[in-house]
Amino acid sequence: MTRKSIRIFALMAALALVAVACGDTAEAPPPETVVVTSIVTQIETVTETEVVTSVVTETETVTETVEVEVTVPVEVEVERENPLAGTTVTVFGPESSSTEAGAHQAALDIFAAQNGMTIQYTGHRGFSDLINAQAAGGNPPDIAVFPQPGKIADFAREGWLLPIPDDVLATMNENIGAAWNAFGNVDGVQYAIPTKADLKSLVWYRPADFAAAGYEIPTTWDDLKALTQQMIDDGNVPWCVGIESGSATGWAFTDWVEDLTLRYQGADFYDQWVDHSIPFNSPEMNAIWTEILDLWNIPGAVYAEGGTISSTFFGDNGRPLVEGDCMMHRQASFFSAFFPDGTPFGPEGVDVFYFPSVSGDRPVLGAGTLVAAFRDAPEVWAVMEYYATPQHADNRQRFQNLAQGGGAVLSGFLSPNLNANLDLYQPLEQSFLDILFTAEVVRFDGSDLMPAAVGSGSFWSEATSAVNGDKTVEEAIDAIEASWP
Amino acid sequence: MRGRKGDRSRNGHFRDADELDGRRRARRMIGVLAVLNFAINILMGSGVAAAAAVLIYRGGSTSTVRRAAAVSSGIVLGALTLWGVFTVEKLETTARGVVISILASALIFILANKLFDLPPSRWSLFTTLIGAGFALLVFALLWGNRAIDDPVLRTMVATLVGAVAGYLLGTVQHRWGRLVIGVGAGGLLGALATSGMRSVILVFELEQGAFELWPILPRLNYGVLAGATVGGAVIGLLLWQFRGRRNPPVRALLLGATLGFLVGGWLLPDLGTGTKANALVAGIGAGIGLGALLALKPIPDGSKRGRIEGSSRAYIFLIPALGFIATTLIIPTLRTLFLSFRDTRGQEYVGFLNYGDIFSSPNIFNLDGWTGIFGSKLFIVGALLLLIGVVVSIVVGRRSGYTIRFSPGTGGVSAIGVVLVAFAVFAALRGTIFNNLWWVFTVTVLSSSAGLAIAVLADRARWESLAKSLIFMPMAISFVGAGVIWRFMYLARDVSKPQTGVLNTVWVGIGNLSLSRGIGFFVAIILCLGLAILLGVLAVRAWRTGERTIGVGAAVSALPLIWFAYALWHGVGGFEVRENGDIVASTIQFVQKAPYNNMWLMLVLIWIQTGFTMVIFSAAIKAVPGDLLEAARVDGASESQTFWRVIIPQIYPTIGVVTTTLIVLVMKVFDIVKVMTNGNFGTQVIANEMWQRAFTELNFGLGSALAVVLFIAVLPILFMNIRRIQKAAV
Repeated sequence: MTRKSIRIFALMAALALVAVACGDTAEAPPPETVVVTSIVTQIETVTETEVVTSVVTETETVTETVEVEVTVPVEVEVERENPLAGTTVTVFGPESSSTEAGAHQAALDIFAAQNGMTIQYTGHRGFSDLINAQAAGGNPPDIAVFPQPGKIADFAREGWLLPIPDDVLATMNENIGAAWNAFGNVDGVQYAIPTKADLKSLVWYRPADFAAAGYEIPTTWDDLKALTQQMIDDGNVPWCVGIESGSATGWAFTDWVEDLTLRYQGADFYDQWVDHSIPFNSPEMNAIWTEILDLWNIPGAVYAEGGTISSTFFGDNGRPLVEGDCMMHRQASFFSAFFPDGTPFGPEGVDVFYFPSVSGDRPVLGAGTLVAAFRDAPEVWAVMEYYATPQHADNRQRFQNLAQGGGAVLSGFLSPNLNANLDLYQPLEQSFLDILFTAEVVRFDGSDLMPAAVGSGSFWSEATSAVNGDKTVEEAIDAIEASWP
Repeated sequence: MRGRKGDRSRNGHFRDADELDGRRRARRMIGVLAVLNFAINILMGSGVAAAAAVLIYRGGSTSTVRRAAAVSSGIVLGALTLWGVFTVEKLETTARGVVISILASALIFILANKLFDLPPSRWSLFTTLIGAGFALLVFALLWGNRAIDDPVLRTMVATLVGAVAGYLLGTVQHRWGRLVIGVGAGGLLGALATSGMRSVILVFELEQGAFELWPILPRLNYGVLAGATVGGAVIGLLLWQFRGRRNPPVRALLLGATLGFLVGGWLLPDLGTGTKANALVAGIGAGIGLGALLALKPIPDGSKRGRIEGSSRAYIFLIPALGFIATTLIIPTLRTLFLSFRDTRGQEYVGFLNYGDIFSSPNIFNLDGWTGIFGSKLFIVGALLLLIGVVVSIVVGRRSGYTIRFSPGTGGVSAIGVVLVAFAVFAALRGTIFNNLWWVFTVTVLSSSAGLAIAVLADRARWESLAKSLIFMPMAISFVGAGVIWRFMYLARDVSKPQTGVLNTVWVGIGNLSLSRGIGFFVAIILCLGLAILLGVLAVRAWRTGERTIGVGAAVSALPLIWFAYALWHGVGGFEVRENGDIVASTIQFVQKAPYNNMWLMLVLIWIQTGFTMVIFSAAIKAVPGDLLEAARVDGASESQTFWRVIIPQIYPTIGVVTTTLIVLVMKVFDIVKVMTNGNFGTQVIANEMWQRAFTELNFGLGSALAVVLFIAVLPILFMNIRRIQKAAV
């Protein structure tokens, strides 16, 4: 082989390599994605009435593999030519932990197996940034799981989202209440379907620790502050707090602000604050921020796993609470998925109490995720419709429960679906659902409703500055007010 | 972003015949593609087989064994290729794309060269082909976008008209005859294109299944059209006047009028709401203008044709590269510039509002802390050092007849002074822009001086290559990877727990050591003092032998050891004493504590880039001619004098290249900040700010303005670098 020909050969090979690399990126999932490996769903036998699914649960901490055989009743339509067969639908969302992302994928796999299609869920902590880039760059997923109705509104007005067609709409209205559906409605057109509900006004604690130290569960905000002081005096650390969350750092603080705004100022003020008819730097807001930071800044009041509050990942607060490094942690219902494996729930393990109200009106802060579609195709709408069915709600709950260890554990998932099978939920979870659906004052997470520039922008970053002490409360809320579009 | 001029139909469902038409076409196209595909795959397989066989066959002696080996390995390789392209879907599509584009490029290239062989000898054939090709291209574009009815007929007629007009313009010499031909053909082509024009174009995307409508018929306002035409003509005349009245004015007049007509007919009016008559007027007018312009040019003589042939070669070679640069570099740059003057979504013109926002936002540009500069310890120490350095230099310089003369010692002291003062300034002024400047200053200065120092110290030393490889290794780590690694290095945990971050473990460990007063404590103190004494001895010996710089260096490096022993005795490290007398661990919040968390982030980049500067400097130092060094030594220069007076001047151009490259790199720093803090805690830099404004908040106006600011800031340095390269080339 002559030198020259070798060179030409190498050049061609390099060209082909480059081309392969380029070709690959077009359809590859975004970088840094959490690859869901924890739950492997395999549809083994398909009979006319049921699908036997074997679920293999693997997590980092438990080395042994737990195999659970469950029988998931699924109606299988025996159809010769399924129009969905062979199609692929991509779903992108913010749920990236092995439990949540795994259960999400597994619930989709059931539907995919029934129809001979492929549904690929990808979860990423930086969802709120990445989805913007993907949509603006003309390369969105087929379906996105939005945690923020505000973003859905932005996207819909931008013309990026597709309105939900009537048949899917009918399924949604049949199964999900109007109050929840309203979060996916933009200017009178329905763009998104609620798939997950969270109850945010909760404080996690360990009843055994409380009993041992003789603490009462606080019922008013003043009681809570008094309890905090008492714990410090007793040599305990009352709170676990952490607001780090990748590019969404700061959101955990905004939940405190929203909860206290509902409590101090009431629902009407809350609504006006969210839609900006009350300026963000109002004296009331200032007082609420100061109240929270004063509580956190009491010496010895906070255990921060990462050294400081602003450098502690919000999910890292589970272990310290279980191990007694702190006594309380205020976080939403989904947080049960963040406790170490095998953590018992209920009186013997970890339990929750209602984040106390100021004036006894017991308002509730909720949140959730909604799915919206970017591509107009029968398979995409079929998956969207599946999201609205009780089957999806039940499958997701089953898998997430299993991923948490199965049995009497909290899955961390709540469904807004009214026709979901309540028997699949633990009594505590049923009480969450009950509160969410029946409480007199329920409000959606305010930062999620605000325009993206504030709700997933300056509110988070300025809150982080204020918590970290880089800025005063006044500077921070002035900056947020200035950034309102 | 996809253009969204027309009403995008809800759900993308088209109840239009166009949709069906489009789908049918797509299906037919897919059928054709599949056949082509198969053929190409087979071709590829046999091509690889043949190539392999030929390569092996030609390798040397042609024994039977070799021949058999060549054929069989060719078959195996070909089969493997075939198997690969038919089974691995991605491989197939990629390989197909590569082969098709290579073949198409080669074909176009050859044809273009053949075409431009023609002008000197066969002018009329050349013009005929150009005319037909131009008409074919324009109508193919219209056809492909489904902008015209009866596309087959129209394209055929247009190609014919183009060919005939080309031939006639290539042969007819008579001036008025040419004009008639040009005007006639241009008008005819314009009429052909616009008489069958549809009101909208259906943009059909095969892959996404998304549809879009683009309106095209212009709604003419004849006053505006006439005004634009006359205006264009006047501008043409003015330019003609201005450029020295070289050619007859008719051409300039006509060119201006035609361009004005195009602007008035297609750019200014509202697209989509016009009638066919409007389009016809706009099309025929433009055609006539362009045709007349062509006709006014006389047939070139032999020498001119030769020039056409010659210069066209350059363009044939350049156009692919230029096209690539234009689509990936120039067009995005222009679009960014355009967007920076528009509102958040690029819809309305807002003037300099975005630029005003940049400089009025306290998060981006904040001068409030400037009074704090003068009170800081850093500033005072830095200013003192600078003062001492400068005063001593002046005194020394007076003695030797200069106004000021920096020796290595005084220069070093002054440089440290400057660095400290700069740190004090940057630590006091807050905001994205100052952070970026701080990065540029610190990383450039420290990375290049550390690289230079290592290159010099390791030069011809015993383990040179090993040491240099180790220092170069971080270059292989991506910025994101380095950010993640250093996050772990800087990690802090709650003070009640054992630390897991390396630096905090050491820091808290020192604190424990200092408090323990055990054996380790005394060993550490003795070790420090012992080392300090050794360094002191070295300093004295070096001073005596005349190596004064080394002497001073050794003495100076003994100082921190003495200080550390002293501090250890008094208590140093990660602990603090609470009011109630409890002693608890205390960590350093490397990443969270502003403003010096910026420095800890910069350290990551310095760690990566020092390898780069070291390698370049090392090469430059080794390239210094040996006879120069020898001459210096013969003249009695010490090692340090050789370095400062001979080596540094020799590698001066390299220093320039390294620093400018570093400055440009650091200005764009993004990954490290994104990964480690995401711009929180006062560590924001321009690139990350730009990303957040544009993609988190979807404020494309502000994001683009930030990009433009960054671009303008980088420009002068790029300019300097290019100038230097050009000078070096001359």
